[in-house]
This record gives sequence, C-alpha cells and structure tokens, in this order.
Amino acid sequence: MSAVPQIEEFYTQRGKRARQLRDAGQKVVGYFCCFVPDEIIAAFDMVPYRIQGCPSEPIDRADAYIEPMACPFARSCLNMAVKGDYDFLDGFVAPHSCDTIERMYSIWHHNTPAAFNHFLNVPHMMGPSSDTFYRKELEFFIKALENWSGRTLDQEKLKETVKLYNRRRARLRELYALRKPDPPLISGVEITELMVAGMGIPACEHIELIDNMIAEVVKRPKPKHQKLPRIFIWGNEIDDTAFIRLVEDSGSYVVMDDLCTGSRIFWDDVPETDDPLDGIVSRYLHINCPRSYIPAAGNREEDLQNRFGHIGDFVKQWRADGVILYIIRYCDTCELDGPDLREHLNAMGIPVIMIEDDYSISTIGQLRTRIQAFLEMII
Amino acid sequence: MNFAGIDIGSTMTKVVIVDEQENIIQELIGPTGAEHRHLALTVMKEALEKTGLIFEQLGFIVATGYGRINVPFADKQITEITCHARGVRALFPSVRIVIDIGGQDSKGIKLNQEGRVVNFVMNDKCAAGTGRFLEVIAETLGIELTDLGRLSLQAENIVQISNTCTVFAEHEVTSRLAEGAKIPDICAGLHEAIAGRVVNMVRTLGIEKEVVVTGGGAKNPGLVKAIEGKVGFPVLTPPEPLITGALGAALTGKDLADKGLAPDQERRLEGVTFFK
Amino acid sequence: MEEREPAKTTATKGTDAARKIRAMVKNIYKSCHEAQSQGKKVAYIMVSSQYDEILRAMDIVPLPTENYAGLCAAKRDMDRFLTKAEEDGYSQVLCSYARIGLGFDSLRKELGGMPENAPDGGMPLPDIILGSSGVCDPRFKWFQACGRFMTAPTYSIDVMHPPVHCDLNAVRDHYVQYQKVQFEGLIAFLEKQTGKPLNKDRLWETIRLGDEAWRLWYESDRLRTAKPCVMPSQDHFNVMVPAYYYSGTQEAVDYFQDLVDEVKYKVENKLAVVPDEKYRILYGGGLPPWHTMWFFNYFESFGAVFVIENQYRGFDPVEVPDHVKDPVEYLAWRAFLRYTARHEQAKANSGNPVVEKILDLIQDYDIDGVFFHACRSCRATTIGQIHTKNMLGRYSDLPMTQFVSDMVDLRDYSEAQWKAQIHAFLDAMASRKK
Repeated sequence: MSAVPQIEEFYTQRGKRARQLRDAGQKVVGYFCCFVPDEIIAAFDMVPYRIQGCPSEPIDRADAYIEPMACPFARSCLNMAVKGDYDFLDGFVAPHSCDTIERMYSIWHHNTPAAFNHFLNVPHMMGPSSDTFYRKELEFFIKALENWSGRTLDQEKLKETVKLYNRRRARLRELYALRKPDPPLISGVEITELMVAGMGIPACEHIELIDNMIAEVVKRPKPKHQKLPRIFIWGNEIDDTAFIRLVEDSGSYVVMDDLCTGSRIFWDDVPETDDPLDGIVSRYLHINCPRSYIPAAGNREEDLQNRFGHIGDFVKQWRADGVILYIIRYCDTCELDGPDLREHLNAMGIPVIMIEDDYSISTIGQLRTRIQAFLEMII
Repeated sequence: MNFAGIDIGSTMTKVVIVDEQENIIQELIGPTGAEHRHLALTVMKEALEKTGLIFEQLGFIVATGYGRINVPFADKQITEITCHARGVRALFPSVRIVIDIGGQDSKGIKLNQEGRVVNFVMNDKCAAGTGRFLEVIAETLGIELTDLGRLSLQAENIVQISNTCTVFAEHEVTSRLAEGAKIPDICAGLHEAIAGRVVNMVRTLGIEKEVVVTGGGAKNPGLVKAIEGKVGFPVLTPPEPLITGALGAALTGKDLADKGLAPDQERRLEGVTFFK
Repeated sequence: MEEREPAKTTATKGTDAARKIRAMVKNIYKSCHEAQSQGKKVAYIMVSSQYDEILRAMDIVPLPTENYAGLCAAKRDMDRFLTKAEEDGYSQVLCSYARIGLGFDSLRKELGGMPENAPDGGMPLPDIILGSSGVCDPRFKWFQACGRFMTAPTYSIDVMHPPVHCDLNAVRDHYVQYQKVQFEGLIAFLEKQTGKPLNKDRLWETIRLGDEAWRLWYESDRLRTAKPCVMPSQDHFNVMVPAYYYSGTQEAVDYFQDLVDEVKYKVENKLAVVPDEKYRILYGGGLPPWHTMWFFNYFESFGAVFVIENQYRGFDPVEVPDHVKDPVEYLAWRAFLRYTARHEQAKANSGNPVVEKILDLIQDYDIDGVFFHACRSCRATTIGQIHTKNMLGRYSDLPMTQFVSDMVDLRDYSEAQWKAQIHAFLDAMASRKK
C-alpha cells in the first residue's frame, strides 16, 4: 500500500491521530520548539505533540491577546488555540526558546489552560554549567509529569524510548539521503509533508510511515534528468508545504535543510547513556537554533565556521547550488544570524537569498518573483 | 524571425517586438486591467497589427512582470529582474546598477561586466518607495500624478517628510499643508523620502557606476533628481523607461532561440488559435 | 537641501536632578575615550545584566551601546545608522537599538574612524564585548554579530529567572548556583583580558555602592507617591542613567542622594509639574519613544502627568541572607531575589508578577490611566502588554491604552495618529472621573 495517502491524511488533518489516541485513553502533551525532549513525554506513555501553526488561516482572534509585532508563527499557533483547535491537548509545555515563546507561555496557558502546564527553562549559553542547569530543569519537568500523572518515570522505559527515537532519527537520515542524487529521488514538498505528519503521532507510527515511503521511493521509476538548481533552506518553522512548493515549482529541487521542522530536530542521535538524561541533555541543549549562543571562537572566519560549519557541510554533501535563508518576520535571532550565515556561505562561493516572510499563504505569492529571479540568477 | 516580449506590470502592460538584429520594431504601452489574459491578448494583437506581422512570424514570446503567469500564448515566463537586466544591457552596456521604480514595487539589480544579474533586492510588500505611494499622496494634494515631478522642481524650501509608510505620510502631508507648506516644497520632500528609501535599499548591493533608473519612476524628473542627490552622481534613464522589461523579455527570447531552443509547439498552437 | 528648523522633540524636565543627566550621558562616552588613552579596557555592555559591579571592581569601563541608540534618537540623528545596518542586510524589523549599534559599528569601520559629528563624540572601538541573555535575545546575538565589524574578544553570560508557578524553595539553589557559575565564567574571562585578578574586597565595595544607589533610587520613587506629582516620567527616563550606567560608583550614590533631597523638598513645598493636576498616568511598559519624548509635555498641557513607570525601573530592594559571604554569590542571590520579588504575591493573586506590580503602582500612586508603548522592533518589552492589559481589566476599571511606534525608529511613528489617540485617552480618563 502506498504510504502517500496516509502521510497526506496526517499532514492535512493535523491532530486527528492525537485525538484518536486521546479517545483511547492516552494523554496528549503539546509543546513548542525543539527543546522539549519527546522521549520524556513518550516514556510516560503520553503522546508528544509539536504545536504547529496554520499559515492558510488568517490570524483574526489572536490579536486580542498578543501584539502584531510578535512572530506570526507563534501568533498563528495562539490563534488556533483560542479558536479551540488545540482543545485535545491535556498538557502544554513551553520552553524558554526565545523571547516570544517565553511570553507565549503565560499568554497561552492563561487564556487556554490545559490540565497540565509547564514552562521549561533553557539556557541560551552553551557550556558545562548550562548542561547542569538544563538537566535540573528536565528533572523538574519529569517531577511535574509524575505529579500530574501519578506515575513514576521508569528509567528503563526512558532508555527504550531514547532507542526508539534514535531509530526514527536513523530512518529520517536514510530518507534525507534520498535527496542526494541529482535529480533527488524525493521532493522537498514530500519531505515536508512527512516531517509534519510525524509531529503529532507516536514515533513507532512515524517510523512505519518513513519506512513505507522509503520503500516506495526506491521503487519509483528513475526521475527524468532535468538540470535544475539544487536548493538548501535554512530557517526555523516551515510546517506547511506552500513555501517549499513555491520554490520547487519555480524550477528547482529543494534538497536539504537546516530547519527546526527538518534536519535540526533529528540529525544527531541522543547518546544512549547509562543515565538516559545525560544523553538527552547533551543532545537537546546543543541543538543549533539561532536562539542559542555558541561561544566566540578564534578570528572571524573561525567563529563563523564554528557557528555554521555544519550548514556548510550539508551544502557540500547535498551539492546545493544556492541557499535560501527563510526568516519568519520578527525573529530577532534569525535576523541577526542571517547576514553572518550569508557571509559564511558566500565565502564558500554559494549564492544566498534572504527572505523575510509573514507566515501566511495569502502573501506567499509575493515571494514568487524573488525566488524565481534567484533561481534565474544562479542557473 | 522576430521576437516579442510582454511585460504585465501592476499598472501598465508593455509589448516590444525586436528583429534579429535586436532593433526595436514595435513598442506598445497600455494600462493593465483586472483581466490580464484578455488584455495580454489585445495588446499583443495590436502590436502585431501595427507591425504588419502575424503570430507565426514571432520566434519566442517571453512574458515578464507580475502578471507573467497570465499570458497563455507566451513560450516562457521570466522574471522582470532578469528581463530588466537584459534590456539594460542592450541599452547601456556600462551599467552596473539598475533601479526600477514601478507602480507597486521597486527593485535594485546589480550586474556584472557581462551584464548578468549577480544580486538583486526588491521591495514588494509595502507601497513605500513605489509609484503607488506617489499616487496616493498626489491625490491627497489634489494634483495629477504626472505633475508631481514638474512641480517639485519649483521647490524653494523642501519639506522633510519623515514617514515613508504611505498611511503615515498621508497624515504628515496633511498636517504640513495645514501648517502652510507650499505644494512644490511638499512634492520635493516626497521625492526625497522615496529616493532615500529606494536608494538605501539598493545600497545593500553596493552602488557602482553607471546607474540607470527605469520604470515609471524614471519618467518623473523630480524623483530622478532626488535619486541623483542620494547616489551622488548623475544617473541614466532610457528614452522610454517603461519598456525596459518588455525589451529585455524580447531579447531574452532571442537569446533562447540563439541557443537553439525551440518554443513549445503545443503552446504555440494554443497561441495561434487565440489569434484567429 | 534646506531643512526646516527641527521641532523640539525632547521633553522639558521637572527636576534639577534630571537636568544634570545630559552631562552625565556625555561623560559616559567621554570617559570611554579617556580610559583607553590611560590603558584601561572599555567594554560594550548590556544594561541590567547584573554584572555592573563586577566590571567596576575590575576597572572595566562600561560602554552601553543601547543607551547610545537612545541618545541618537533623542538627537534625531539615527537615520544614517539605521540605514547603514539595513544596507548590511539587517531587517527593518530587527531591534532598532541593535540596528543603530551595528550601523554605527559598520560606519566606523568603513570610515576607519568616528562618523562625522557622531552624537557625544561617538563610541570608541571597544576592547572587549560583554553580552548577556538578561532581558532579551538580541542582547547576546547582537554582540555576536559585532564580530563582523571588530575583533574585540566577546563573552556572554546567561541571566536566568524562574517561572512564576515554580516552588521557589525548590529552585532557589539551582538558579543561584547557575548564576554564580555564569558570573565566575565572566570573571575568569575578564581576568584573562586585564591580566589582573578580581579583588573581592573591591567587589564588596562596588556592590555596597550599587545597592546604596538603587536603595536611594527606590526611596525617591516612593516619595513620588505624593500628590501633586513633582517628578514626572520624562525625568525618570533620565535619572535611570546613573542607576544603570554608573552602577557601583560613588557618583551614582551622590546623584541619588541629591535626587532624594530634591524630590523631598519639592513634595514638602508642593512644587507640582503641572499647576492644575487633573490626571495621573502610569507608564505601564514598553521602551520610551526616545525620538519624541516631547509627548509627555503634550499630555501635561492638558493637565495630565505621568507620575510613575514600570519600565527601566529599579528592582525593589532585596535582602540577601547573611550566610552569603562571597560577593559573587551575593550577586547571584541578589539577581534571583530581584527577579522573583513578586512571585509569591502573584501566585496568591493574578498569577502574573507584572500585573501585581502594576496593580501596586496603581494603588500607591493613585493612578487615573495606564499608558503602554508598543515598539515595532522590541519583542521583549512589547509582547505581553495586551495580555497584561487584559488581566488588569479584571481588577481595575481604569482607562488603559497602547500606543504604537518604536523606541528609536521614527518611521514607525505618526504624530497625527498619536495626537488623536492622546485625546481619546484624555476623554476616557475625563469621563471616568465624572
């Protein structure tokens, strides 16, 4: 059976599977960003649900609760919450990822309280003391989940969950490898759908989807060779296919990304340590989100290499011809990283375009000319 | 063989037909209406009639401009960035920076020595720095858009307009009028504001000689003067600034044919039936 | 081009103390230039990073880049820096303090020296750069981006505070310990840069001075509860300068002693800001519009005076327990106590410390209306204002209003719109008073 219809279903009817599981008695815990470890929630037999926005719906209700100069992704999520689209969340967790999400915690849980509400503090700095701090915050988080659920976290269970999620990570890396050939065997739109589909379902079900998709893709007839530019996308949340579709429809292949809805959340495994929290801390705190501060290192070139080296490696390995920096408007940390990353990539000879978007399908067409002109430029 | 370019901008639709020696043999400008498809057809028909050509005599037809996707008979859609660059390369080979001020957007394009686009910047989300901005303000001032440039050249004490947000600027103009500011002084202030905004945007590319101003904005002597003030040296303007994109589109079509590419036959047939 | 005589944009002040600030601001930048000629280290800093006393104790001269942005705006000389940053690829919605700072740095690098007629002599190239995560994200990201324009060694620390719903007893050690280690990392970095170890006795001394200045500042604010108002908010946004930029010095202590004396005298003699005080307004939050501080006087022309503010306001004094014998640990404790001062009160009431603070101010200062300023480019002080306003509405029927512009970018400001909104706000306060 083709994997595509089910992926489409999970992609278009978000929350549907989580609702089903909830009806069957499981608790669903919604969270923002990539600093809340899925493994911990899943180890309580709860369903981790990454909160997404909806760029195809106007933000009409949220304006009564949050300022228009806040990140439109966050506003869109809140808009859905106040409309009741997230009424299936038993728990709500906001990490201190950025100023907006931090403020969002009190606005969200005050206006649409879940049964369980938790704020997870996350250091911006990276260093040994930050690991200790974040670990302690995770312990508080576990304690809170224990109090709420009336259950004690089973260490062995957590270890198993870490293994399970690592298995998913491995499968996703395998999937992303299918983007390496020219032309890629799978489109950026398909990848996006599969990633988003996995955000609200148990990992084992996502693994099945990925496996089916991989099996299907390798069986497909070889794509017709057509020389089109290969594009790498950097940014934060892209939880809708519209932008990727625009880029691909304008005549390109989206072959790799550094997005918190893409490679950023799965690329590195959680080390399977004796104390599972050790591994979780070392993985999650060191996720390369622009909100995290990588200590200054050496001269300018070395500093940029230290901050963005992994992106340069991706660009080389996936043979990208150009990079799109996709920034959701009002994201200060992305806006500050953008020019530095551009400098780093330009030094490698890679053309870069910075796009600032409103996270709205209704205005995405305005980006068409920019994207198309960029592709015409780099051919 | 002849080649046609059609540029459907937000306010004007332009058609240029060139011959194999890259001479312009026809240029036509008409207003863009709500119905792009129909309009594209009408303008193209008229251009062909005036030239005494038939559709089959056209090699490539390239559509550009923001309505480019609504030209059913075009062989290819290419952005106005690439087309403007190509048009400018034909008109002024020494140009390195193109500043295009259109009805609803403005853009800067940087060209290398071969006239290829190496970088560009666009403002298309906000009316500030576009023809639309001037149109709104002209209405507020109760004057014709086409008079803005001429009037501004009579300015004696330029009124500083600090807002480039169209709504805010409208407020500001109203209060300056109430304070007794003269219309030419306000017009000049508006051009300063818009030139400042556009030139700042273009500076992200690094401004180099020569600079050409194209699009509707280039027809406004007050605005061109203000841009020269910001850039710090005289700028070029094409004889007919509005057709730069359409010219570039036609020439891009010729380039494609020179490369041995042939238009898509099915599309052509669709086009031919359109013209019968 | 001939320009109009620029209209007055700064505000007329109420106290002599506030009038002394102009010279103190000038001195910040002057002393940086001087310090470098004496071989001292000058550091780009972020205010309210809780490290001021450490810097003073180690002879590091603070160069507050954010303040410089406000200064440029007050002098209406911000466009060249804003546009320079935008030319360099920084978005027009990015924090405008950061844009001015980066634009200034870029221009200074391009010119190979100080931009012509830079306000107050300009900012010299720093020897070190010290960011922090206290208050907002750009405060460490901006300084990271500075690497494009200078080679100064850069170091940043976390300044973390716990969420309101936590059990303070359970998290205290965890936060204090982390903060302490963060400060220790900073000290090690500074010792390496200066080649001198930190003298802890000197740190105790600068802490004593810092605490004393802030205690006096708090005292002056408490005196401002008196009616009529003798010290308006535009003065507050000046007197914050010694509190934030001279923290840990005797100068700051002396300044605030004078301020307390002056405010006391004015209260006793009822030397009102406006002769016929009709409305007392609380500046509820948001960075002030440095480009148009004159609006305070516009309000005053209708008998409305801003009497207290919840922005750039010192923390209420806190009591660090006696068992803390190490000055670095003291700083960590102090930061924790400052940030959690209203947590317990909030837990018992609204659940929101900002709301609690504003409710206290409304009561203590007999407020008639609350004003918020939403800044287009400031997330940290803007997001949450509507939420605060919504929550306040449950406890208070006062008129509340949110004005929109930016702290320094004039392009987000419309005088016509503000005037219309000011009158609507005045009307609302009038009809409530009837």
